[in-house]
Amino acid sequence: MAATATRTRAAGAPGLAATVILLGGALYCLFPIAWVVVAATKSRAELFSTGTFAVGGGLLENLAGLAAYRDGVFWLWTLNTFLYAGAGALLSTGVSAISGYTLAKYRFPGRTLLFNLLIGGILVPAVVLAVPQYLLLSEAGLADTYWAVLLPQILSPYGIYLSRVYASAAVPDELLDAARIDGAGDLRVFGRVALPLMVPGMVTVFLFQFVAIWTNFLLPFIMLGDDRKFPLTVGLYTLLAAGANQPALYNLIITGAMVSLIPLIALCLTMQRHWRADLSGGAVKN
Amino acid sequence: MRTRRLSAVATALITALLAAGCGGSGDPEAPAASGPASTAPAGPVTLTYWTWVPNMDKIAAVWNQANPGIKVTVSKQAGGDDASAKFLTAAKAGNPPDLVQAEYQHLPSFVAAGAVADIAAEAGPAKGEFSPGQWGLVTLGTEGAYAIPQDSGPMMLYYRKDLFEKYGIEVPKTWDEYAEAARTVRSKDREVYLGTFSSKDPGAFAGLAQQAGAQWWSISGEAWKVGIDDAATRKVADYWGGLVKEGVIDDMPYFTPEWNKALNDGTLLTWPSAVWGPGVLSANAPKGEGKWAVAPLPQWSAGENVSGFWGGSSTAVAEKSPNRAAAVKFATWLNTDPQALRLLIDEGSVYPASAEGQAAMTEPPAYFSGQPDFWQQVQAISATARGFTFGPNVNVTYNAFKDAFDKALRDRSPFADAVRVMQESTVADMRKSGFQLAP
Amino acid sequence: MRRRGGPVPYLFLTPAVVLFTLFLALPIGYTAYLSLRGTKVTGLGLGKGARREVYVGFANLAAAIGDGELWAGWLRVLGYGAMVLVTMLGLALLFALLLDSAHVRLARFSRIAIFLPYAVPGVAATLLWGFLYLPSLSPAQGPLSALGGEVDLLGAGTVVFSMANVAVWGGVGFNMLVLYTTLRAVPRTYYEAARIDGASELAIALRVKIPILMPAIVLTTVFSLIATIQVFTEPTALRPLTNTISSTWSPLMKVYRDAFITGDLYSAAATSIVIAGIALVVSFGFLRVVRDRAFQER
Repeated sequence: MAATATRTRAAGAPGLAATVILLGGALYCLFPIAWVVVAATKSRAELFSTGTFAVGGGLLENLAGLAAYRDGVFWLWTLNTFLYAGAGALLSTGVSAISGYTLAKYRFPGRTLLFNLLIGGILVPAVVLAVPQYLLLSEAGLADTYWAVLLPQILSPYGIYLSRVYASAAVPDELLDAARIDGAGDLRVFGRVALPLMVPGMVTVFLFQFVAIWTNFLLPFIMLGDDRKFPLTVGLYTLLAAGANQPALYNLIITGAMVSLIPLIALCLTMQRHWRADLSGGAVKN
Repeated sequence: MRTRRLSAVATALITALLAAGCGGSGDPEAPAASGPASTAPAGPVTLTYWTWVPNMDKIAAVWNQANPGIKVTVSKQAGGDDASAKFLTAAKAGNPPDLVQAEYQHLPSFVAAGAVADIAAEAGPAKGEFSPGQWGLVTLGTEGAYAIPQDSGPMMLYYRKDLFEKYGIEVPKTWDEYAEAARTVRSKDREVYLGTFSSKDPGAFAGLAQQAGAQWWSISGEAWKVGIDDAATRKVADYWGGLVKEGVIDDMPYFTPEWNKALNDGTLLTWPSAVWGPGVLSANAPKGEGKWAVAPLPQWSAGENVSGFWGGSSTAVAEKSPNRAAAVKFATWLNTDPQALRLLIDEGSVYPASAEGQAAMTEPPAYFSGQPDFWQQVQAISATARGFTFGPNVNVTYNAFKDAFDKALRDRSPFADAVRVMQESTVADMRKSGFQLAP
Repeated sequence: MRRRGGPVPYLFLTPAVVLFTLFLALPIGYTAYLSLRGTKVTGLGLGKGARREVYVGFANLAAAIGDGELWAGWLRVLGYGAMVLVTMLGLALLFALLLDSAHVRLARFSRIAIFLPYAVPGVAATLLWGFLYLPSLSPAQGPLSALGGEVDLLGAGTVVFSMANVAVWGGVGFNMLVLYTTLRAVPRTYYEAARIDGASELAIALRVKIPILMPAIVLTTVFSLIATIQVFTEPTALRPLTNTISSTWSPLMKVYRDAFITGDLYSAAATSIVIAGIALVVSFGFLRVVRDRAFQER
């Protein structure tokens, strides 16, 4: 009896400590986000003069200003961002899935080399690639088009890597063999047998790539000249670097940043069950 | 065995593709094979225009209404350091916009890269609309003309009138008086500075150097002469360096949130800036409305009356634009037509470069409503401003300014050293490219 | 696994290989080509044909290798990276273990909150923190100055910590998620034996969970290391606010400066090649780790 009571108490104290530590981490992470939400409510006069977390009275004015800016180009940027991130992530997930599956489930000459090459892409920084990619895409007549932003972001070394891990872990060889004995072709085996099993992992790949494209700045900045094709990151940057002799439109930037975070936060909240970032494919599966 | 053979094949394939890619990209800096189209195409043409002037699309809409044959599409860009690099990259890749906003200091590098067209033939008639000094900024001292001036940035001193009275300071007429005033302010209130030296704004420093009589670049015969490290510039550098070292002038950069706050709450009393200052002040320091006033820059010796330029830009036409004639037509209209000038002033908050445009400025900006003679003041100052020729690699010089003055502020080392670094970086870069340099 | 498959695997990999060739291999090859080129100007360099692109051999590469500033940049990145890696992964591990322990309240809220910064674009994150760092705007200044004078969060001695904080803030949630989902994949029965033996939660965490997590920890370390070497956004976005970050603070900033500010594509290409070379050396270690840790089936 006494022993049980001790154990319960012992379990309670670390539980409390753990809760406090985690809440501390949560507060740290929410702090700047809370700030941007508060700052978005401040009018121009309040932004640089009232206390950091003092709520201002300019939210509606800021939102109206943002919506009116250049005839509502902000909404166009938002749509563009959804297009780039949505279509890009979808294509990327498709390519990652079939590549990861192939690398996991086939044995063929050059497999290691191809895997190393595709994964090695993660080592090449975007800053290094941006200019040559731009010059080459210009050569192909694709600069300043939606394709220029979409195409270079389809190949995701990280996505291929994750897909290979998921395919190894989630698709049993026996099932593939059985399907083949039934006379199914390779494409059919992949589409009807392997892919459904890989779906939970592929959702994660999609989400990762969606966020990666959504937050990308440098590539669209280089590729696009027409501001009606800009994604949010580049569009907001034009407000910040408003140009020599022009004031940076801090109110609009902060309000825009806050508004642009809403879809991503919504994505995180609704899809949080699907983030299966299990990098090493079931650590104890052996 | 098979693996090895396969990787050999893969390597060969990639090499071949690379070779094809490199060959295909050709020589990007070779002049375009097809000459500029001097005759306008038959049908309506569409021109793209990169600019960061606010509301330029509204101004273009007025043009489009009146000129159905030439449609101008405005693409609003980020300004600043990388704006010119973005245009140069686009020009190099062969798909620049037809028209581009070019700051005067970047125009020479655009010309040197062959990115903008010589429009002297088409734009000749516009020449008379501008003062010779203003027009000189787009000819670079050559026979050609590479843009049409849009706005101008003569420098002046903005100061907090109310707080000058509070601290009992006279508006400084000379830089000596300015330094004295800086000491007075510090002695009366430890929270307040008379001014700040920004290590992020080479344009402001260049303007102050121009006032002192510097000539950073000049052309003698077929050679460039680089004189950044000249006596005038050193004088300016030593002056500000001394005040910062003494602790009577702050060292926070311009255009940061912190600077906005200081402008707003009255802990910064002056800003040596240019004619476009009211726009910045009203947007970033709305609380100071009616409290700021304008005066001529302090002078180096009493009785003098000179100023310099900070900023200002022009409208250039890309060398690769197939519609040069139409583009020049629009650029000329934009910067010389009375209706367009009115729009530039009202919608774009631009201080026009054209004499007629400047004369049209009568109502003081709302922010300076307490100073009804604001534009008369500005026009008087504008007449005293002197500029200098910009060289073909201002980007290098300006970048060196930021790094070197950052370092000087950080280490509290003499500003003259930073000026020397600017000179050396500029010369080294020009030498590397093969520019002819005068000894 | 046993299938040889004839041409099928190659067909399946075609999209990836084509994309790789077009958007990675070709640009890298083009970069290598550019690094051997330079401009040659005649006279004043004004007017048509005054500027030509010429072959300069290894001059650009030699200049890049001999540039002390580039190597100083690597040193700065090394110090910064060590700080980020240790803090970020340490916190991620701590949070993941705490989330997985049985007695935590509000676990879901904490997990989502810690993960949220991952969705904030790097430029925006740095801007937000930049505002909060500025002496006259920062809410931290009150408490900090009460503790002992004014602390300049963007000063010469502190700016690297401020930068590291932005990176840790943005990355800790992602790494926590990786470790946490790995832990959740472990059947609960795994710990039962230890519990029955009377082991405390702490002992289970240290002796059972961390060994299980080891492969995932190694992988997150490697991925974070690669991201850290490529540090660019944080210093670039903070630079306008402080005089303590030069335009060549990190190697990639130098590439950016050459390509986008001073307009010397050829030097930028040469520096890129040097960086790629170093990345390649790192990659040998990286690939070995990935193979050994993740694909034990081979």
